[in-house]
Amino acid sequence: MALTGRFSLLVALGVVPVVLLGADAAIAWATLLGWLLLALALGGIDLALAASPRRVAVERDLPSRLRLGETARSELVLRNLGRRMLRAEVRDGWPPSAGVHGRNRSRVDVPAGEGGRVTLALTPTRRGDRVTEAITVRSHGPLGLWARQATLAAPGRLRVLPPFHSRAHLPSRLTRLRELEGRTPILVRGQGTEFDSLREYVRGDDVRSIDWRATARRADPESPGAAKLMVRTWRPERDRRIVIVVDTSRTAAARIADEPRLDTAYEAALLLAALATHAGDRVDLLLWDRRRRGRVHGASGADLLARMVDTMADVEAELIEADWAGVPAQVRSVTSRRALVVLLTAADSPGSARGLLSVLPQLTARHRVIVASVTDPTLGAAVSRRDELADVYAAAAAERTRLDGDRVAAAARRLGATTVAAGPADLPPALADRYLELKAAGQL
Amino acid sequence: MSAVREDPAVPSASESGPVPARAARAVSPGVRASLSRRRTWVVVAVALLAGALVLVALQGAIRAPGPPLAADDPAPGGAQALARVLEGRGVEVRQVRSLDAALDEARRGATVFVHDGLGVLDRERIGELASVADAIVIARPDFAALEVLAPGVRLAGAAEGGPGPAACAVPAADRAGTLSDGQRLLAIDDDAAAAGFTGCFPSGDGFAVVAGTAPDGAEVALVGATTPFANETIDEAGNAALAIGLLGERERLAWYLPGPGDADAAGAPTLAELTPGWVSPVLVLLVVVTIAAGAWRGRRFGPLVVEDLPVHVPASETGEGRARLYARSSARLRSIDQLRIGTIRRLSAALRLPRSAEVDAVVASAAGATGRPAASVRALLVDAVPRDDRELVRLARDLDGLERAVHAAIAPDASLEATDPTGRRP
Repeated sequence: MALTGRFSLLVALGVVPVVLLGADAAIAWATLLGWLLLALALGGIDLALAASPRRVAVERDLPSRLRLGETARSELVLRNLGRRMLRAEVRDGWPPSAGVHGRNRSRVDVPAGEGGRVTLALTPTRRGDRVTEAITVRSHGPLGLWARQATLAAPGRLRVLPPFHSRAHLPSRLTRLRELEGRTPILVRGQGTEFDSLREYVRGDDVRSIDWRATARRADPESPGAAKLMVRTWRPERDRRIVIVVDTSRTAAARIADEPRLDTAYEAALLLAALATHAGDRVDLLLWDRRRRGRVHGASGADLLARMVDTMADVEAELIEADWAGVPAQVRSVTSRRALVVLLTAADSPGSARGLLSVLPQLTARHRVIVASVTDPTLGAAVSRRDELADVYAAAAAERTRLDGDRVAAAARRLGATTVAAGPADLPPALADRYLELKAAGQL
Repeated sequence: MSAVREDPAVPSASESGPVPARAARAVSPGVRASLSRRRTWVVVAVALLAGALVLVALQGAIRAPGPPLAADDPAPGGAQALARVLEGRGVEVRQVRSLDAALDEARRGATVFVHDGLGVLDRERIGELASVADAIVIARPDFAALEVLAPGVRLAGAAEGGPGPAACAVPAADRAGTLSDGQRLLAIDDDAAAAGFTGCFPSGDGFAVVAGTAPDGAEVALVGATTPFANETIDEAGNAALAIGLLGERERLAWYLPGPGDADAAGAPTLAELTPGWVSPVLVLLVVVTIAAGAWRGRRFGPLVVEDLPVHVPASETGEGRARLYARSSARLRSIDQLRIGTIRRLSAALRLPRSAEVDAVVASAAGATGRPAASVRALLVDAVPRDDRELVRLARDLDGLERAVHAAIAPDASLEATDPTGRRP
């Protein structure tokens, strides 16, 4: 049961008769009592005429997933199963991060036996699963004095996917990739290329790429001299394996430029996966701290990105230390072939990177490894500010942080890995560029 | 905004596919369910309430709230025992609570027993009583009563231990012989002694009982304490004999305990008389409105929603903490060394020196590029020790200046900032 402001106002209006009739104390008291009884009686009648909020069927219409930053429409259909008119005020039990527009108090009048629709606009503010368990219906009487209230089970789930802002960089990288492949009929064989096809010689082709045996086979014995020269063409390697390992341990929770490292790592992983799947490589994703938090294996094309964002959606960083010793076994479980292993982590201080550095030799022995980490872009500004004493100390501390990062990167390079370090906005394109370089150089 | 509209298409069940015929399961309990769920507490509350009611009822029956030393009060502080004994001896005891009733009784020749524990009676009323009554016994007289009935008799504090033997000509006191502990004393000055007041049960300068004749002619017996009359102590020493002797002399006894009606009521008009009649009801109405508004605003719209919030760790915190540590311990040399290492690395990169180049090579190369003396560059990059904060800041700025100078010397056109890797110009 609930009261309304109108009822409070009705009670308060009792001051008028009490003052007007209240020259004598006894009459004033009697008036007060009468007014209160009147208000209570009106409230009771109102309550008795209100429809039951429990005799309501609820149907929920909700998209199952959306990208962070997009707006979804959540629709509720309330079907009044009672005999009285339902004058309902409805609250849907979304958490604050579901980003309900407005006050989440919707008025809807539903005649008996009919249905009414409540529409909410949701713009979630965080990645992950947004869950609502129930709706609360407050059924007002015709006078709007008292109301009945009930909470009805109406489960709903909205999966908020990572935004993939870095897809803005995808077209330019795809162009580069096509340039790379456009060079395909490179007639030079070498590392990083594989046999593509045989075709007829056209002017301008390198004569060294003429395949004489194929030419001889194509030669028409009926008309000697009309033989077509055949050349072999080569193209960049395809069907390489790429294993992206995202570190979801405590260092991934740290925010750089108001974005957790983990989200930046997701952006970088998505851009790399989109690019690599266009290039014909096969991408696997591992989310790892001390256990496997998520895994995408054996997907390709558009399905790959969909499964990746779905896996990433509800994985948040945990405040535990990463167990790097388990990573080689995880990579082995994905592929036994040589692969490009991309470790998206925070290699910023020798102390926290010790575990990573200790397993790098195992990985670099079998695979090509890229260690990608997010750096703080404000460090550069801090280093060059030297106006006051406090600035100098801050510059020294920032310089120390950068030197630590450099030391870890140097150690990783000594162990045979490639390193990529950039600010949150630059890491995804930087990682994609590094991938393209490796591909162009045929080092995958 | 939460847009709400009624959709006429929805009710037609044929269009909107499978219709849930059953109402949604209610998560919140109804009135009946919530009552039965809290049955234990409801039972406990009802039991407590009933117990409290029973206790109040029982207490009200056993111990009626009344003034101390009431003739019908069996409590330790009452005086029912004495009243019963007197009635048993043929004395008609009537307890009265107003002055008029007491005056009536006095006119019929009753002994008037007065105990004015709250000091309700003023001088005029005491005088009126004394002018009508023939015999007055006052237990624990206050100052006003003494002034009117026995001028010259004063309060003299409490007796230590029991007072001495009666030693006076008052027959009741004489019969009692001794009194219990806990008596209060009255002192008699020379005027009072001359007026005929005699004291009994002396203790020090005072007496526990003083008897005499009031200026209005009434016979007055003043008993300093209530001990001789109270149920609790009446059976000690000669208390009972004294009380019975004093109060049982006549056929009637008026047991006068002044009530609130005897108080001096000739005061100013009360607040209620000054304000109009509706003020109090409006105040009550305000309280009711406040409660209703509280119920209106305070009723929660459904259960609270739980949300797991992500941890929020700014990555720059460690750097800031390290800077504060440097500052607090004034680690000047360590700070400037960090800056120097960074500067040397950047200089060696800018000067196209190998990564493993010695410091001396960097110094020589930088000196060559900028045209500064090698000694000063070496002092800046290696040797100088900052002795105070000012020197630290100066060294840090000089390092920055050296870096800029080297960059300017190598690529005079390009400023430090315009190093867009793509080569685009804004």
